[in-house]
Amino acid sequence: MKPTGLIFFPAFDWAISPTHPEREERLLYTRDQIFEEGIMDLPQIKEYTPKLAEARDIARVHFCVPDVAAQVTEAHLISAGSTLVIADSLLQGEIRNGFALVRPPGHHSMLVSHGNRGFCNINNEAIMVEYLRQKYGIKKLAIIDTDVHHGDGTQNIYWHDPDVLFISFHQDGRTLYPGTGYMEELGGPLAYGTTINIPLPPRTTDTGIHYVLDNLVMPILEEFKPELLVNSAGQDNHYSDPLADMRFSAQGYARLNERLAPDIAVLEGGYSVETALPYVNMGIIMAMAGINYSNLREPDYDPTRFKEQNLETIKKIVNRQLDTFKNREETIHKNRSRGQEFETVYKNIFYDTDYISEDQTERLRLCQKCGGFRVILSSAQHRSARYYEVYCISVPAFCCDDCHQQAIDMYQQMCRQGKYDYVYLQDRIKDEYKSFDPRQEVEIVL
Amino acid sequence: MLIGIDVGGTFTDGVVLDKGRIITFAKEATDEQELSATLLKVLDRLLSDLNSDAIARIVLSTTLVTNLIVTDRGPRTALLLMPGFGLPQTAYDLAPDTYFLKGCIDFRGNEVAPPDTQEILAVINKIKEQGIKNVAIAGKFSNRSQKHELLVKTMLEENYPEASVVISFQIAQQLNFPRRAFTAYLTARTRARWNQFIDDMQEAMKERHINAPVHILKADGGTMLLETAREHPCETIFSGPAASTVGGLALTINDRMNSVVLDVGGTTTDISLIIEGKPLHASQGAKINGKLTHIRSLAVKSIALGGDSVVCNNAGLLKIGPEREGAAACFGGQQATITDAFNYLYELQIGDLSLSAEKMNRISAELDTPVMDLCREVVDKTMGRLQETITGMFKEWEQEPAYRVWEIVNRRAFRLDRIIGIGAAATVIVPRLAEELNIDYLVHQYSPVANALGSSAARPTLAVNMHADTQADLFTIDPGGIQGNLGKVRNLQLEDIKEITRRYLQDIAAERGLGEYADEAQFTREEQFNVLSGWDRMGKLFDVGMQIDPGLINEFKGVDEI
Repeated sequence: MKPTGLIFFPAFDWAISPTHPEREERLLYTRDQIFEEGIMDLPQIKEYTPKLAEARDIARVHFCVPDVAAQVTEAHLISAGSTLVIADSLLQGEIRNGFALVRPPGHHSMLVSHGNRGFCNINNEAIMVEYLRQKYGIKKLAIIDTDVHHGDGTQNIYWHDPDVLFISFHQDGRTLYPGTGYMEELGGPLAYGTTINIPLPPRTTDTGIHYVLDNLVMPILEEFKPELLVNSAGQDNHYSDPLADMRFSAQGYARLNERLAPDIAVLEGGYSVETALPYVNMGIIMAMAGINYSNLREPDYDPTRFKEQNLETIKKIVNRQLDTFKNREETIHKNRSRGQEFETVYKNIFYDTDYISEDQTERLRLCQKCGGFRVILSSAQHRSARYYEVYCISVPAFCCDDCHQQAIDMYQQMCRQGKYDYVYLQDRIKDEYKSFDPRQEVEIVL
Repeated sequence: MLIGIDVGGTFTDGVVLDKGRIITFAKEATDEQELSATLLKVLDRLLSDLNSDAIARIVLSTTLVTNLIVTDRGPRTALLLMPGFGLPQTAYDLAPDTYFLKGCIDFRGNEVAPPDTQEILAVINKIKEQGIKNVAIAGKFSNRSQKHELLVKTMLEENYPEASVVISFQIAQQLNFPRRAFTAYLTARTRARWNQFIDDMQEAMKERHINAPVHILKADGGTMLLETAREHPCETIFSGPAASTVGGLALTINDRMNSVVLDVGGTTTDISLIIEGKPLHASQGAKINGKLTHIRSLAVKSIALGGDSVVCNNAGLLKIGPEREGAAACFGGQQATITDAFNYLYELQIGDLSLSAEKMNRISAELDTPVMDLCREVVDKTMGRLQETITGMFKEWEQEPAYRVWEIVNRRAFRLDRIIGIGAAATVIVPRLAEELNIDYLVHQYSPVANALGSSAARPTLAVNMHADTQADLFTIDPGGIQGNLGKVRNLQLEDIKEITRRYLQDIAAERGLGEYADEAQFTREEQFNVLSGWDRMGKLFDVGMQIDPGLINEFKGVDEI
């Protein structure tokens, strides 16, 4: 059997700040545990070396304001680049599955990036997904976000994409950052039902999470039939996590990955650096590599300690979301028949780490043939005190000729208008990423 | 004067080096059963017209432990493992007589689960009943707390005093429990035989009135005193390839080039890399019988192709190696060899060219291929395999795992400057390969004995690692398995830990008779992490490594040109 690919990149020389949870020490004990276990020496594991992602890999997903260099450090490029190494190894048939055990994380980063939100600047999973689509022509993918926080960044990026199924289960947004991920968030008008949120009550245990997995996630996956499955693998559902309030265990995480069987797992959050991460990471690696994990547990683990109190609530959530998913095509059909050319939504996005408040006007073309392209007018004052107003046009990887042509025309028109600080065209059909600065009259093409 | 003796698989070579010149050279066929006797035969030939007072140092490189381990010989040895939580017990396929014990320590040295003394007693009795006298004890994270290993050792001493015990934290303190356990097991299994060899050598030196220090060459290309080596038999494995690498270094002293050292023997070719004048170490420890150890070794690849590899007609197809059946045809051998193909194609005038021609022509007739095409094919295939291996080694070096941003960002590609050819058949292959790769090469008059030369000039090495945890108030130092308390010093800084490491290195170096090199030790690892609880700093974790790199001793100033 082929091995499980593993990139371990703890970024021992990168932190948001010395006492921030996202600091150098985060994967130190995980390093100690996996190295002491000698897991890299096992024939079931193949260790890979990270590489730097290129600016165009980032621009394929994000509108970085003003440019990619302003939003990413080398650590971000390595973290994102690692997911690409794993993706290549998988698609080239070297490995059965792979785990990018890397930091910094990315699932709170949205389509437009003005700064750091929820410890994230760029979205590692989305960068990998768009790379896979571009390089290997994969169309349908599923991302299961198992982090305790709602994966609002990934949700935002794939909100209008009917070919990317995004399922996030997390601690209820009324009790935890980022305060979103409610059942009603189900995707845009033409991609309704391929965004599924499962807000779980605080203190949900292994029993509760596995109920969701068995009765909601697995049936949906079976129906959606993705070509490739990604686990956006946060580890902060753990009972010892200092930032959240759930009751998941290392055994629970291992079993989740065995059952879900993701093709690729990418580390997200998890800040119980000493009492959870070493064991949860071991559990994920062992489960993915098909190694018996029954002897793995946290030093203070007691299987009888937590009783599931909220199973009835969870069952209700599961049944409701299952119905929504089943009726999604009907809803999409209805939305499409409204005969409207564009749908417009206004929103405000807050960047907690960088304290930035962004205003967006998002317009989606309600296309009759495809998922439509979207346009975002975004404005925010950066930490540098500079205020940016940018115009972003995003052409999805699988989009009809009409939408593609309209998007290109719109870009040229906006460049001529000269009203915005920057005009961006993200053309995933041509794999070409343009940005135009009307004042300098400079166009950069990645 | 310096003496170097390299016991190889086929031959044992010895040299006496006087300032940059080899004044005496001796070669004997190696008798695998009587390694000491072979060694002493060579030594006596070297000493025949030498005043023993004039000898400054003797370095031996021997295959003794390598042979014991590779052929799986040695007394029955029990391996007592305390793996605690994590991988299943089935993951530890290290030794036939393996026993599992309860007890678990975590990465901070905390006791997670206590050992069970009843269980330990039962296992001791079982070992006793089976008549197993050698025991290795290894616990996961014993490098962070020796408590459990020591308990088992004490119980063994009390209940089975005849047993000879090795504890893993004294063998190695790096992370990687299976490698530490396997290294401890190999140590326990070979220690008695190894000490017998050391006794023999010390006795032999006494008889010959030799007072000069006697060193043993290690897998990392450095040496250690015979007396120090008693507890570290495994460090002497793979010293043959190490000798040739250091030999390559000795021929090119003081240059900082990127070289590949090609030791072309009769049956095999050993390939190693010298990067900016320093031999490249394997990123993992030495691999023995498919299992990794904590033995620091040079990155050497061996391929089964040498000057005497037989070239023949194998059912209508050309076959090259891996067999060797005596010397090449040009030296009177019965079979055509790689040397003969090179000899004929390039008219190298090695030995008797007409004998090469005769044998190659015979195969050419059998295979119905023009003889020059045939020679060309042998040459291309040989060089192809060498090139492939060399390129693979660069790739591996370039792709070594890295865990820091700066390491990834500053990653360099490897640019090869030169081939250093050593070994008997280097003159045949190396110039042609260098031409093919379009780089320089060096084949020196001392190339055929560069391994013994390398042994004679190799400097002692020593690596010291310190781990300190100011919150848990503990530190460990490798080698020697020193563990202790920091004594509640709240404000230790990285500089303090480095200073402590430096002092330990100086002490251990002095103890091991290599004090003069202590000042040249360099820090190889400097890590510090804050331990936070909430938003408060509770302590710091440090990992510091310092070492005296392999190289050449101060007395050695290079070899004379011709």
